[in-house]
Amino acid sequence: MSDMTLGGSHLDASWFLILSAILFTLGAVGVLVRRNPLVILICIELMLNAVNLTLVTFSRQLGNLEGQLFTLMSITVAAAEAVVGLAILVDIFHTRDVEDIDELSEMKG
Amino acid sequence: MAVAVFFVAALMAVAGAIGVISFREPIRSVLSLVVVMIALGILFLLLSAQFVFVAQIIVYAGAVMVLFLFVIALFGPAREFARANLRFQSWLSAVFALGLLILIWVMLSGVQYRQPEKTDLTLFGTVQSIALGLFTTYLYPFELTSLLLLVAAIGAIYLSRKKVDDR
Repeated sequence: MSDMTLGGSHLDASWFLILSAILFTLGAVGVLVRRNPLVILICIELMLNAVNLTLVTFSRQLGNLEGQLFTLMSITVAAAEAVVGLAILVDIFHTRDVEDIDELSEMKG
Repeated sequence: MAVAVFFVAALMAVAGAIGVISFREPIRSVLSLVVVMIALGILFLLLSAQFVFVAQIIVYAGAVMVLFLFVIALFGPAREFARANLRFQSWLSAVFALGLLILIWVMLSGVQYRQPEKTDLTLFGTVQSIALGLFTTYLYPFELTSLLLLVAAIGAIYLSRKKVDDR
């Protein structure tokens, strides 16, 4: 139903979508079970990457370049998110040694 | 051939993702994420998205991951101990993950694929075609992206400055 012939061989778009779903779920599990704030940020990056794969797959499937353009925007936003998130973490780590995200349950400065 | 490349890259990506969430040291999680990103880059090439592949390798696997490594190097290798404040946390998250996977699966199996227009793959996803879209139709979002990056940079500088006066 969703064939993409590529270099003579045959790829199915749903394979890419299923892989993307698996990666997204693994990232969500990481956010839930890990307690190091740095690792939680890493898992969020993993989820963003999984969504990028979906966008590129649909872009190729529909023969429309807008998915790839959106992926580029998403990469930029992810970079900005990582920068700000890491800056916040560095600021927190300066004042105390946080090994558990539960220690940061209050937002007072 | 392409099928073999897909399955090798997919296996790499899933193994890397499992590594991200299961290693105890954060530095190993970061290096596993680099593996995932390189595998996804290979998949982008399979989907004839050359420019996105280059951006993925340079921006993600290069710059962003180096940023994470810098922060880890700055604060030492903090190990994570297996103690949870919330009991049944891993069980709850397993149930949640299963639900999420089933949800996405149902959504994906309901997708009706439109038969694509015949695309010219010699041009699809090249720098030329990406630039054409980025500088004509999507010029405004593209310019806003630079503003976003500027705000992020200023925010990072503001957050990580030395606080001499107020302490």
